Amino acid sequence: MKIKHAILASLAFGLLFTSCENDNDDNKRSLGDYDRGILISNEGPFQNGSGTVSYVSYDLNEVENEIYKKVNNEDLGNIVQSIGFYDKKAFIVVNNSNAIVVADRFTFKKLGAITEGLHNPRYFTAANGKGYVTNWGDPNDNNDDFVAIINLVDFTVEGTIPVEFGPEVLEEENDMVYVAHQGAWGFNNKISVIDPATDKVVKIIPVGDVPNSMAFDDADNLWVMCAGKPSYSGEETKGELVKINTTTNTVANTFEFTTTDHPKQLVEEDNSIYYTLNSNVYSMTATATSLPTSPLLEGVSFYTMRVDDGKLYGTDAKDYNSKGDLTIYNINSKEIIKTIPVGIIPGGIYFN
Amino acid sequence: MANNKTFLVVLMVFQVLALNAQSGNTIVLEEVILSDVKLLHFSNGIKVTVLKDSVIQRNGTSLTDLLQFNSTIYFKENGYGMISSPSFRGTNASQTAVVWNGININSQLSGQTDFNTISPQNYKDVVVRSGGGSVQFGSGAIGGSVHLNDTFLFQEHYYNQLVFGYGSFQTKNVTYKTAYGTDKWSLSLGANYKISENDYNYLGTDRKNENGAYNNLDVKATVGYFLSKAKVLKLYHNTFIGDRDFSGTITAAAKDHYKDVTSRSLLEWGNFNGHKISRVKLAYLYEKYRYYPNKEKSDFSYGSSNNLIFNYDYKYTVGNFIFNGIADFNVISAEGTNIENAHRNMFSGTFLLTHHLSEKFRYGVNIRKEVVNDYDSPLLFSMDTNYDVSDRYSINLNASKNYRIPTFNDLYWVGAGAIGNKEVTPESSFQAELGQHIKGEKYTLGLTAYYIISEDLIQWKPNDAGNWMPVNIKDAYNYGLEASLDLRQQWHIHQLSWKNLYAYSKSVDKDTNKQLIYVPFHKITSNIAYQYKAWELYHQLLYNGQVYTTSDNSDFLQGYVLSNIGVGRSFEIDKVISGKIGVKINNLFNKNYQNVAYRPMPNRNYQLNISIKF
Repeated sequence: MKIKHAILASLAFGLLFTSCENDNDDNKRSLGDYDRGILISNEGPFQNGSGTVSYVSYDLNEVENEIYKKVNNEDLGNIVQSIGFYDKKAFIVVNNSNAIVVADRFTFKKLGAITEGLHNPRYFTAANGKGYVTNWGDPNDNNDDFVAIINLVDFTVEGTIPVEFGPEVLEEENDMVYVAHQGAWGFNNKISVIDPATDKVVKIIPVGDVPNSMAFDDADNLWVMCAGKPSYSGEETKGELVKINTTTNTVANTFEFTTTDHPKQLVEEDNSIYYTLNSNVYSMTATATSLPTSPLLEGVSFYTMRVDDGKLYGTDAKDYNSKGDLTIYNINSKEIIKTIPVGIIPGGIYFN
Repeated sequence: MANNKTFLVVLMVFQVLALNAQSGNTIVLEEVILSDVKLLHFSNGIKVTVLKDSVIQRNGTSLTDLLQFNSTIYFKENGYGMISSPSFRGTNASQTAVVWNGININSQLSGQTDFNTISPQNYKDVVVRSGGGSVQFGSGAIGGSVHLNDTFLFQEHYYNQLVFGYGSFQTKNVTYKTAYGTDKWSLSLGANYKISENDYNYLGTDRKNENGAYNNLDVKATVGYFLSKAKVLKLYHNTFIGDRDFSGTITAAAKDHYKDVTSRSLLEWGNFNGHKISRVKLAYLYEKYRYYPNKEKSDFSYGSSNNLIFNYDYKYTVGNFIFNGIADFNVISAEGTNIENAHRNMFSGTFLLTHHLSEKFRYGVNIRKEVVNDYDSPLLFSMDTNYDVSDRYSINLNASKNYRIPTFNDLYWVGAGAIGNKEVTPESSFQAELGQHIKGEKYTLGLTAYYIISEDLIQWKPNDAGNWMPVNIKDAYNYGLEASLDLRQQWHIHQLSWKNLYAYSKSVDKDTNKQLIYVPFHKITSNIAYQYKAWELYHQLLYNGQVYTTSDNSDFLQGYVLSNIGVGRSFEIDKVISGKIGVKINNLFNKNYQNVAYRPMPNRNYQLNISIKF
């Protein structure tokens, strides 16, 4: 769901920003109207309509919704699934429109669009000077799923890599691309490893059922959250947190949940792992040997979650047909710093 | 327990009536020729609007088009000719019942009727009954009900009629009708086929409605036969076969394709013994759809349902009272890609009473109770009254409790990302209405105010595991005002008719105090028709006010005015052969409008019709 680059960038920018805030803000040249803040991708109404992108400044005082439309006077398209970043560019993945809109990540001026060669695109990451985008293909066909290779200069699909069904989030680390096969509308249980030098799947690592989120810790271990199969599947399975050694690409450790527990929304910050389970947020260090037993936050219902610089950002999609909220918590005090209305179904949080 | 008792009481009253049955021998003519007498006798204080043949012909191709321009109902169409759902008095799509010859035909799967799958052309009239009618017409008659009725003609007649139509976007339609009758027999057969590329321009863009082609075939037949002087056997049938591409939106193209078949058959045996009328009905309703997410591939998902209905109806008139007891047994089954072997047995008992207290004052009291295997059903009741204050002025009043039962999708859906909930219960509503009518020789003026409280509205929303699931979560209230003004004027051979409707609808989510989505505050229709000898000239006007498209009312669609104009001329070739030719321009001012967000409707378009009767 989240892009490693964004985390790194956010860390860098976040720190820079904090430091210059103490000095004089005007001294630091802004890269655009939407520099130094949080971008929220909002999927938009489910059936008809357009997704949007919201901007919230790091001090939380400045909020601007529908920034892409404001700058470019056009709609992004139906179901804005996610945003990936490369260089100074934002790659906005529009699922139901089968498109990626490319914009300057700081000014949000449109730079181009990829409208050919994508089929139910989900997430974007960059590696080895190329873009990689997971695609479900036809959701009813489990054999046509692929990762599209994007030419980052002329914004075209220059090749495809057939993969196991239901590719979802993907992350780059140590010149390898890791793809989680959550299983589209069904269920899958694998991580594919793609070598961007050859654009081939070099390894398939079996994990728990329904891997829905992943992140790297400071030691370059890949943490994969697997929800397990839900009860309605008729064969409910337990959630699992899987730690993968990216040097050997083998499973180093597996933390098991109970059969009726289905964790999700794993993120990493400062070598700590955060995830949600049953309306609670849990955290553990990346060196922990067992799952945490008491929650960090209780009674939340996040559509997506991120952690950055001592703050936890969670969105609420409400009834999925009205403007959602972004709520920012102070992790230490566990108190809400602010709740900000954003767009319809806020599904992605990115630090710009 | 209390409910069960009431049910027993209903049954007992019904039995007593049957025992007291006495013989008579006059035939009540309207009872014989009409298919839905509940609409006739048990709607005293109810607003009932009849759309006649001539009006149907002007908007004949779909029920959506007809009601859009001739009722206060708001329609949400996913592009022209696509799935169309109503909002009647601010209620949702499954809170309008469509009733075919007295039988509720809303889908067992979705609880709704797609108004673009009903061809009104072969019905003599279409009746719009505003307000609650669940006692008489079952689930979903909350905002109101729309009635399609066949009539029978037991006298010597024989004719054939052919209608050809051609219009923009390669829209072609052909209709054939024939009818034959004697004093013993009444036969009719009608078939209507329509096909269109439907590739209209998206105004303000360089794009077209790429994936909107459709065709459909509607066949219907009736047979009536007098077995003896007082016994009539009637058979009704209607089959609709639709084949549509599903239009995309401005922001996403589509490759979807949809095929559906609905079929209804009704066999009715009526025994007309003066003030005692009994009917035995056997009906079979069938529906099936196939949805192709990608029309270039053969993969599809499907759903189907079968509904077998046995109905016994006994009506007894004594003095100024009319009593009616109805026992109804339904056996319903459904299956499909997402529904496995779902069954429902439903037994209902209904008791209806009308009393003409005096020439001027009449009222009705009606109750209904159901016993169903898969959910608990509430006791339903209604009371209505009409008082003629003077020859010109009348007041009507009604109150009723109505419901919308959980559909098979609500209860039994199984699929990725969504799951039915066996715990959902019927939505219930209580409503009251006050109306006044002033009638003159050249005008009719109506004013109606209503209030509806709806509880436990079923809504699909994601559960903790992120799967969409229906829950009885929302309460809402609606209130509104409806005004109608009909004017007629005649000078020698010039005739002028002007019909106007206005509706104000406030429809509020109780939790948020926000207006419900896709409910316009204001809707106006205004139709003016002028006739001179064989010529006819008419103009239709529709105003749909602004509607909200998000539940927090943060987004909306602008209101719009639509205008259609048409001219026609009837002709007679000889004593036997006659006909009519007509041209119509829809969306005269080329208005760019949508009634569902991001789904544009057609630009200006033309229609030519020729009809020949022989």
